[in-house]
Amino acid sequence: MIDVRDLHKQFKTKNGIVKAVDGVSFTANDGEITGLLGPNGAGKTTTMRMLYTLMTPDRGTVTVDGFDIAKDAEAVRRRLGVLPDARGVYKRLSPRENIAYFGRLHGMKEDAIAKQTQRLSDALGMAEIMDRQTEGFSQGQRTKTAIARALVHDPRNVILDEPTNGLDVMTTRAMREFLRHLRSEGRCVIFSSHIMQEVAALCDRIVIIAKGQVVAQGNADELRAHYGEENLEDAFVKAIGSEEGLHL
Amino acid sequence: MNIVYAVMRKELLDLSRDRRTVLLGLLLMPLLLPAMLLGVGSLAEKRATTQLEKTLQLPVIGAEHAPNLVAFVAMQNIEILPAPKDADADIREQNYDIILRIPDTYPEQWRSSAAADIELIYDSTRRDTEIPLRRVQGTLEAYSATAGKLRLLSRGVSPSLDAAVRVNSRDLATPEAKRGQVLAAMLPYLLILSAFLGGAYLVIDATAGERERQSLEPLLATPASREGVMSGKILAACVFGMVSLLLILLSFKATFAFGGGIFRGIDVSWLVIAKLLVVLVPMVLLGTVLLTLIAASVKSVKEAQSYMSILMFLPIIPTIALMVSPVKDQLWMFMVPFLAQNQMIVRLLRSEPPSALEWSTYLGVGIAIGALLWLIASRMYHREKLAISA
Repeated sequence: MIDVRDLHKQFKTKNGIVKAVDGVSFTANDGEITGLLGPNGAGKTTTMRMLYTLMTPDRGTVTVDGFDIAKDAEAVRRRLGVLPDARGVYKRLSPRENIAYFGRLHGMKEDAIAKQTQRLSDALGMAEIMDRQTEGFSQGQRTKTAIARALVHDPRNVILDEPTNGLDVMTTRAMREFLRHLRSEGRCVIFSSHIMQEVAALCDRIVIIAKGQVVAQGNADELRAHYGEENLEDAFVKAIGSEEGLHL
Repeated sequence: MNIVYAVMRKELLDLSRDRRTVLLGLLLMPLLLPAMLLGVGSLAEKRATTQLEKTLQLPVIGAEHAPNLVAFVAMQNIEILPAPKDADADIREQNYDIILRIPDTYPEQWRSSAAADIELIYDSTRRDTEIPLRRVQGTLEAYSATAGKLRLLSRGVSPSLDAAVRVNSRDLATPEAKRGQVLAAMLPYLLILSAFLGGAYLVIDATAGERERQSLEPLLATPASREGVMSGKILAACVFGMVSLLLILLSFKATFAFGGGIFRGIDVSWLVIAKLLVVLVPMVLLGTVLLTLIAASVKSVKEAQSYMSILMFLPIIPTIALMVSPVKDQLWMFMVPFLAQNQMIVRLLRSEPPSALEWSTYLGVGIAIGALLWLIASRMYHREKLAISA
């Protein structure tokens, strides 16, 4: 379970101070998929980077399974599987080597790594590409490799930044199936997206972020009721306040 | 510790897949070094022997004033040329190395048994002049001594009376040290430079490159400590650097074995090779840690690489400083990076092993500086900006 309370983060740029995240709170429960929906530049990636302890919040707290990111960053990282925005797969290593490397960084034993690698390779349908160097992989193959690598230590909480970005229809469907599979195992899954249908199709809980703030949250029915719109799409547009940057 | 090993293993595996880079990095120096050493060594020797043995051309102005002296000089493998028009211009334009001028006062002075003036015209800033000058001076002094002794004898005085003190010199420079002179200037710099920047590509790529490829973000989101990750990368670069140095030293040994006369006497036994490796360990450490520090604090690989040209000059600075104002070996020299390596390598090559105190000072200070840089670099690794490049 991941609990986010009143997160703030600002950056200094040449044109002054940018408030990337300006008061974000939500709770992501185990056995649920929580979707962070928002236009490009809304602060989703920055929020996630604070969740996986790569950035320190200016204000606010995050706890992962009860561990505070400020006090117990290492314990938090142990409980998280992270797919960052940039996949960052090592192109001169094969998926198997990429996965094994991260397994070792998590302090896993070699036989445990091998077992888990096999499980993930089956679940993601990667058997054919496991021993090829990832240079020249398609976007989908690279994303699969990065996801398998992020899940090698069997984490209870999974954070995925735009996991379906750049994937074709078939791979996207497979990816959704995989996320549902993670939910059925009782994991807490958070993923970000700027694609409305995807969030609507997958999420138990939707957190809409715009301009660094949470503008609405709840399940699809609650959001429809809240904005008095029959159509979920219209509810989103209303929540964000404009159609700008939203991929419909 | 497991983290350090895991990261090191991955970095070396990753690097080994990049075959061309590895081959260039490992083999370029070992192949170039013999060519350079053999080339420079034989060039120096060739120049010395030809200048010593070939007939020296010496234009003489006013040869008619001192026919005996000119005849004596001509017997010493020196060819007398007629007087040039403008002696100073000829020397400046490098037409001749040396010109001898015998003024018209010579016959008068000679006859009155005064010391007769003669003049040598040359340009001492030209290195080529050194050996011919010594030959001509030697010949003239020999003539002067012979004539002077004959004068004493003709007056019934023992020729040895004019020498109140006879100086016998005993040059302590071993033949080994003499032969090593040319190489002594070059070799330490080559070795130090290869040690210092041998793993540069790997280091910059492992930190700045990984950041640019955005794989540092998932890496640092694992529970592995940043110090551990950084140390693994540093260690991988050190391993690569040491392997490359080992190859260079082996090629160095092979060159000396086949090099013939010029290198004989420079100590390249296995023991010295092993000691040289030990001497270079702190240098490899220093180079990789310093580069890691730079790579972690800059924005891009390009920026990191632009520091390389400055770094290439660092090893030569203490050597030049020492050339300009030479001081004898002192303990503090074994504490200054680059200078210390230079001293250690020169001593080992000259078969004058450093003392235990010098060894321990050298290694202690070298590793301490490395550790200090490591601490600073690890601070850099904790910066929030490091992991995020987009």
